[in-house]
Amino acid sequence: MVTQAQTTIPATEPQSEPTLTYQPNVDICDLGAEVLLVADIPGAHAAGIDVTFEDGVLALRAAVPPRILPGRSMRQEYGIGNYRRSFRLGDGFDASQISADYKKGVLTIHVPRLAAVRPRKVEVKTA
Amino acid sequence: MPILRPGFALPFEELRDELDRVWTTLTAAPPVPGWGTRPAEGVFPAVVVRESDEAITVEAELPGLDADDVEITVAGDELLVKRSRPETCPVPPASGRTGDGDGDGDGEKQERVMWHRRERGTGAFERRIALPVVVDASRVEARLVDGVLTVTCPKAAECQPHKVAVRSV
Repeated sequence: MVTQAQTTIPATEPQSEPTLTYQPNVDICDLGAEVLLVADIPGAHAAGIDVTFEDGVLALRAAVPPRILPGRSMRQEYGIGNYRRSFRLGDGFDASQISADYKKGVLTIHVPRLAAVRPRKVEVKTA
Repeated sequence: MPILRPGFALPFEELRDELDRVWTTLTAAPPVPGWGTRPAEGVFPAVVVRESDEAITVEAELPGLDADDVEITVAGDELLVKRSRPETCPVPPASGRTGDGDGDGDGEKQERVMWHRRERGTGAFERRIALPVVVDASRVEARLVDGVLTVTCPKAAECQPHKVAVRSV
């Protein structure tokens, strides 16, 4: 069964956050046994990253400390702020086995499927 | 009849000075195309450029790259950042697309990959950034921390502001 991934708007988020919040660019690939979610969150520190999975919704939040560069602005093509994004992954995932690692500004989340719903190849026997 | 006082013309002089200042700023400003705008679609990496008296600082977001993965070249007033960004999934790119999952003959280990979302760009990139002044290429420093590249380009000596001593005769 194909997992449908879609963005969801968290309704319970507090609106008064100290800094701006951005949606990170994300790749989601389904490897069968697990779904891999890869997010670009440059500037975040591992300690400030929060990943939760609840009711089929995978949410990631990352706090980014402000970066102050000297001088006056000549060009500003992106903003610096926290990251937040969530996806509805549906049922059939093993929440207790979700793992995440952060390296070089990229957060990789492994969401394994429950063994019962993993795709498996059925051997066809000849009589 | 109003009396023409010595300071009467002062407000107009201030106005003229202000207009001169604005005009000078417009005509003498370094040509920085796209100031304050987003880069065109597909431009990678996006950059932030700031100028102080001593240096030009360029910051770029390069998540997923090691210091060895980035090549930075500085020549005069141009900064070039280039190299390649690796693929997301640890599978051969040729089999990483949706719908070609039947790995017959390619071994048991080949996995079937289905992309639900591809927003992160991969592959070769090259970005040229025009700096507002000539910089001292020999003293340019770059560091890459948590996917954020910061390049500090000290201005060439002739481009740095220097104070002129006024001698009294």
